[in-house]
Amino acid sequence: MIWNRLSLVCVLTLLFQQMAFAQQASGDFLRSIGHIYVVVAVILIIFLGIVLFLLYLDRKLTKLENQIKDNE
Amino acid sequence: MIRQSWWKILAVVILLYTFLAGLLIPLKPGIAEVTPRALQAGTEVELTVTGYNSYYSKAKNELRAWLKLEGDVVLKAARIEVVNDRTMKLHFNLPQYLPSDSKDDACSLILDSPIDGAIVLPEGIALTQDSVNLLEGKKLWSADKMDQLNVGPKLTFPYRSVLYETIRNQYFHVPLWFAMIFLFMFSVNFSVRYLRKYDPDADLRTLALNRAGFVFGLLGTVTGAIWAKYTWGAFWSWDVKQNMTAVALLIYSAYFILRGAFQDEEKKARLSAVYNIFAFAALIPLVFVIPRMTDSLHPGNGGNPAFGGEDLDNTMRMVFYPAGIGWTLLGFWIASVAYRVEKLQQKLLDA
Repeated sequence: MIWNRLSLVCVLTLLFQQMAFAQQASGDFLRSIGHIYVVVAVILIIFLGIVLFLLYLDRKLTKLENQIKDNE
Repeated sequence: MIRQSWWKILAVVILLYTFLAGLLIPLKPGIAEVTPRALQAGTEVELTVTGYNSYYSKAKNELRAWLKLEGDVVLKAARIEVVNDRTMKLHFNLPQYLPSDSKDDACSLILDSPIDGAIVLPEGIALTQDSVNLLEGKKLWSADKMDQLNVGPKLTFPYRSVLYETIRNQYFHVPLWFAMIFLFMFSVNFSVRYLRKYDPDADLRTLALNRAGFVFGLLGTVTGAIWAKYTWGAFWSWDVKQNMTAVALLIYSAYFILRGAFQDEEKKARLSAVYNIFAFAALIPLVFVIPRMTDSLHPGNGGNPAFGGEDLDNTMRMVFYPAGIGWTLLGFWIASVAYRVEKLQQKLLDA
């Protein structure tokens, strides 16, 4: 549980760094076209967050499935 | 199946609408930039205007522009030269004197086009004159009038400097917090039910709702930090609402840690239910009360007005309110799946 949460934080930190790096590399990408890529980044983060939670539930279910198999 | 999960379908439909309307409706035409910003009375000046979402060439011959001083005193542009849709040059013959009793004054710029509607430059243009002559100035500035302004395109989001397109985050960042509050609210309800009836099912529901709420809270914090970076200048400005929500999330993260500290199922459920009620009791003042008492960058807190007026017009409301419902329903969907996983685990443990 804790590891899942930690990995989530790690991924998000990496994402931050990536974005900061991208910004340095290509000038002001996130500020271009009226800052629309800020909205894109926000939507991507929400998507990633939900996917990570899905992954966490998926792993939990796999464990339960294995338990059921063992019981049988 | 459809009867049971109608609200999930509703969530998908509403979110689809949120994404489509929230991303496709354009911003209102605005003025991105005007140069120069300081003008001298008695000279002929050329202002270069850079527009946003504007269509200057489509209304080439019907464009009008004014410099506007306080009290509806205006000076019409003598000539307008359209370069392209996003650029035009305005020529003004500034009279020798300003209708002002000081050497410095400021005016706003107003554009009018049948396509884009009337647009006001939010920040001022500085005017200076060498000597003051109020009477002569008033006479010189009385010739022009501003009338019959056009109404621009209706289905648009407000164009606000600083925010620009990020005004759309109102449909993605803000509803995450709505969803979180509702999820935590329901989880308190189940905690109370657990303490009254010692129903282990209520404990599992609390846990699932808190998990989903916590995910939404984390996402709200991270998305808020990104939005803040490009509008307030830093990921974390130590703004009171940022800090208080961080504290609230830490309190909720302790809920999960607390659960891990007990071996005995009943003890775990009972103590975490009590803790959860206190966590929610702390959340409300942290998020809704304290940020309103001091200065905050967040709209609706401290001296800041809430999103409203020009920041939240009726077109935005058309997307924002459904977005709140859609994201909240999605939160409950996620919580219900998490609950079913917990329930299954419980059944396996009991068997």
